[in-house]
Amino acid sequence: MRLTLQMLISHGRVARKMGMGPQSRINMLRNILTGLVRHERIETTAARADEVRFYAEKIIDYAKKGDTDEKAMKMASFWLTEKDLVPKLFKVLAPRFETQTNGYTRMARIPNRQNLDRAKMAVLEYKGNPFPPLYPVKKENELTLINQLLKGYREERAQQLAAKP
Amino acid sequence: MATRTVCQVLQRRFATSAAAVRAPANEVRGQRNAVFSREQARQRALYPRIEKIEVSMQGPGLDGTLLIMNKGMSTPLSCARHLTEHHLTNSALALVDGEPWSLHQPLTHSCSLTLLTFKDSDPTLVNQAYWRSCAALLGQVLETAFKDDFTVELLNTPEVPVTLGAFCCDVVLDPQLDSWTPSEESLRSLTRGAQQLIHQDLAWEPLEVVPSVALEIFSHSRCKQEEVEQKAAQSPKGTVMLHRCGDHVLLSAGPLVARTGLCSQYEVTAVHSLGRGPWGLQRRAQGLSLPLQLQAHHTVWRKLRQRAEKMVEVPNTEEVNRLSPPDSTPPRTSQ
Repeated sequence: MRLTLQMLISHGRVARKMGMGPQSRINMLRNILTGLVRHERIETTAARADEVRFYAEKIIDYAKKGDTDEKAMKMASFWLTEKDLVPKLFKVLAPRFETQTNGYTRMARIPNRQNLDRAKMAVLEYKGNPFPPLYPVKKENELTLINQLLKGYREERAQQLAAKP
Repeated sequence: MATRTVCQVLQRRFATSAAAVRAPANEVRGQRNAVFSREQARQRALYPRIEKIEVSMQGPGLDGTLLIMNKGMSTPLSCARHLTEHHLTNSALALVDGEPWSLHQPLTHSCSLTLLTFKDSDPTLVNQAYWRSCAALLGQVLETAFKDDFTVELLNTPEVPVTLGAFCCDVVLDPQLDSWTPSEESLRSLTRGAQQLIHQDLAWEPLEVVPSVALEIFSHSRCKQEEVEQKAAQSPKGTVMLHRCGDHVLLSAGPLVARTGLCSQYEVTAVHSLGRGPWGLQRRAQGLSLPLQLQAHHTVWRKLRQRAEKMVEVPNTEEVNRLSPPDSTPPRTSQ
């Protein structure tokens, strides 16, 4: 849910209309979220991924309360249609994100679907998964020529600043 | 032995008198070039039969690659031609059996070869070679920048660690120019001269020669001859390393990078005067350069450039040794 102008003028109707009505939307999102918790990286249409992202973050927040919490357990058993995933949520995902307070998921656009509808597609994943990274890893090297020059520059600046007062 | 010393002394005397008569600069250059070419041809003729050597490549994605090359004819660059264009354009220096080796120097035995680039995990060797080559380029520009009736004497180029922020080149100009102070404009014209050389994309051809040939090449310049003798005495094999770039022959302390086209940003930032030396008023020209693969944003470049205008104090050899180990240690944390 984003705070945008569009949301302000939409009188609280911030969710997309998808599926065959509200109930069907919830069921669809439940299925997608279950898949996300099972595989940790899924590919779906951009709108669905964007919609399920909110719930995927929220369920981690609930899972952090611990499996003794009644509300957290209720939420987990509602949103995960396959019940063998409930322990995974509390034992694997919640400890993984203990240090973070938000931003547990990452979404990336991928090329449009190649069948007739050409739908916008996206990849949604939980951070810290064992798969190869979605984006190329940026290499930092302190020893390259320009970094060495900048290192010398910084050291000289620090010396100047220390000598001044 | 005694006759040799006498000969050398005579030669030097002759050289000084020759310098006093002041041979025209282009004639000197032509003579140096001719001797260099002759020696190069002689060294190439040492391998009349084509013999094959095995070069095993090392590096990311190249492990187990074995190239069959020609002895005394193939260079590391010709090995790179068998690989990809990336290797051809990005490699600056080679490691042959762990020894730094210029890309244009022919391989003489079966060996293992690593092509070094500016973006390796430990590019310290390449950085040092790049700094040396930029100083050599600066010397070349200074030698050709003045009119023919002013002599320019290049002194021993000090080895400067990269962290000092600028490479430098010591030079003694004609006594008539002692009162000359370089303006902003003249620095800019020197920069333009360097950029023309960079645009020509000239190769630095290496040649390892015995001191007598080097003395012949530098027969017009007394101080170069002394430098040759010093270098020959220091090196374990008793030879000196020469490089040629275009028509300029220079003496270098180590291998240089492959070609001038590897430089992209290049600027001559300052010319300081160091006071009187044995050869006249010594000046130190300084510059800053970055290779094509690692270009700086203009704000960063401006800061580095301002720093490069300050005079570089060349550390003594012990200090260099003390300074260099931290450079070779791996980075503390990988961010």
